[in-house]
Amino acid sequence: MISSLSLRPAALRARPSTRARASARSMATARAASRPATARRAPAAVRASRRERSHNVTWETRTFGVTALAIAAGFLLAVMYLGQITGVSANDYEMQRLEARRAELQRQSALLDVQLAKLETPARIEAQAGRLGLLRLSHVPVMSAQELAARK
Amino acid sequence: MTVSHTRLRVLFAFFAIASLLLAGKLAYWQTAMRAELLGPALGQVRSDEVVAARRGEIRDRNGAILATTVELRSLYAIPSRITDKPAAARHLGVLLGRDPRPILAKLESGLEWTFIHRRLPEATAEAIAALGVPGLGFETETARMYPNETIAAHLLGFVNDEGVGQYGVEAAYDDHLRGTPGRLVVERDSRDRALPVGLREAIPSRNGADLTLTIDLVIQTAAERELRLAMEREKATSGCIVVLDPADGSLLALASAPSFDPSAVAVTDLEVLRDRCVAWTYEPGSTMKGVTVAAALERGLVTPATSYNDVGFAIIGGRRLNNALGRAWGPTTVTQVLERSANAGAVFVGSKLGADRLHESLRTFGFGQRSGVDLSGEQSGSLRPLAEWYPVDVGTAAFGQGLTVTPLQLASAYAAFANGGVLHRPYVVASRRDADGEHRTAPVAVRRVISAETARTMRSMLTSTVDNGLAKNASLQAFSVAGKTGTAQIPDRSGSYESDEYISSFAGFAPAHDPRFVAVVVLERPQSRLLGTVTATSAFRGLALDALRTARVQPDRAP
Repeated sequence: MISSLSLRPAALRARPSTRARASARSMATARAASRPATARRAPAAVRASRRERSHNVTWETRTFGVTALAIAAGFLLAVMYLGQITGVSANDYEMQRLEARRAELQRQSALLDVQLAKLETPARIEAQAGRLGLLRLSHVPVMSAQELAARK
Repeated sequence: MTVSHTRLRVLFAFFAIASLLLAGKLAYWQTAMRAELLGPALGQVRSDEVVAARRGEIRDRNGAILATTVELRSLYAIPSRITDKPAAARHLGVLLGRDPRPILAKLESGLEWTFIHRRLPEATAEAIAALGVPGLGFETETARMYPNETIAAHLLGFVNDEGVGQYGVEAAYDDHLRGTPGRLVVERDSRDRALPVGLREAIPSRNGADLTLTIDLVIQTAAERELRLAMEREKATSGCIVVLDPADGSLLALASAPSFDPSAVAVTDLEVLRDRCVAWTYEPGSTMKGVTVAAALERGLVTPATSYNDVGFAIIGGRRLNNALGRAWGPTTVTQVLERSANAGAVFVGSKLGADRLHESLRTFGFGQRSGVDLSGEQSGSLRPLAEWYPVDVGTAAFGQGLTVTPLQLASAYAAFANGGVLHRPYVVASRRDADGEHRTAPVAVRRVISAETARTMRSMLTSTVDNGLAKNASLQAFSVAGKTGTAQIPDRSGSYESDEYISSFAGFAPAHDPRFVAVVVLERPQSRLLGTVTATSAFRGLALDALRTARVQPDRAP
């Protein structure tokens, strides 16, 4: 990402060509002429001072500024990337925790199924019935539909 | 401040050389030593695991669980982390119900890591976890559970420590039940968690198929109960009960004794593992008379009313074959041959058939060959080739001696009487469900062995055997029952028969004219000798009551 930022144009921009400067000045003069009188507040001396200060910024300073900006941008991007990765990791760990929880619940559910099957075993129910003193019927009377109707 | 150019150059040279050295060393480790470093580095973070496939469940025809696989917690210890070992061993001894001394010995053995107890009951694991002893931990391990304990143990079989099915359905369907394990290659952190942005290659496991059996747990339980009671009453050495649906040959119950607990097989005797219903043969005795009579009826050689004069014995091939207790019955019809279980009568009918037709009929009914049931270890029984038969063999085979059968073969033959004359291949797995869907087992009609008319006649004759004959004890109050008792001698190694030792059996079905089930009860060496058949018929009666009640069958007789 950092490598995509070019430092060269900044250094070059600090020293525009004579022709370009003349053109810029003439354009500035034209713009100033077209402005209303109320907008022309700054005296000519102040403007000259500003121009001079601007011309006094060296290429080292500009390079330093651009580099610092690039480093800051890179750092910001790195922080954002790390934040994203950390988020993904945190989510993944949470997912693993939930998966483990789901597996544990499934394990316990299977154990409960087995326990239920044990409790429903006919042999166990028979044994419990025997303990309660219940006896097995030797004959189950079955009534036909006609017999039922006749009784009603 | 000014710095001399010489110093600057020296400094530059120093850093340049140092950088070159570092770069060289880095290049060396990254290229020449790459393989040596990469292996251990990956080994620290990468785990290559086998993902076990879940073994399929086995359920009965109503969905009750017969066998399933669960994960249980196994207790391990890292002894160096346990500060008070005697106290820990004492607590564990109480919770595990074990002597604490071996536990303490393990904790003081100097091992870095050791199992204390594997596959704990969940409640015990919870109680141990609640102790909060540092250095104790759990690891889950799979365990095959059989909620009905010894019920249907032979039918189901078991799974050995390697996870391979042994005996019964577990062995016969092991390939389907086992599934295919998967593989997971993953990078893990120091806490054994998968790295979120690390390597993850997975080949998913394919779980085993779930099986639904034709077995009815209620009938199976009734069969086991009746067999246990009969065994206790007779102090028999072994016994079995086969119950099948005559309509399609599906097995409803398969009980064998002595039994075992499939989840604790390591402590049982190997002979106990033998399924007496399919992997054990015996001389069937008089239950075979039904087959002999059916064969003769089918060929029109006799009718139920055909009679002969019973003098208490028959002579065939120069040998005298006696009735039980030498009793002479006088004029006897073929129906009465079954009612009285007259050996001389069976010889009479067998003689009418002749050796070749009797032998052919026995083969047609499936004797001397495996039935093809989908269980492991099935025996074929023995029926010597016709060329090896002596003349007397026609007589002895006619009443069930000189040949051996499995109880399942006999039940299949009687099922042919019950269903109108068709021999079905018995089967126990109704359907198999896997990732591809459900695969149902189609019943297989092997062949027609007798006509529907002959089958109807046999049902009437066998009903008369129960109503008027020696099998009276098998009769039910509100249902018609058809069947035949059998008392067989036990051959010894010398080729003769053991004196006063028998195998008692009963083969029958109910309701007689629209049978819902066929059952064969066999007791080996009953204490009451010749009266062992009374106990066998009692077992049939108890079983029939439960089976008919469970199937909500309407009574066909006035009580």
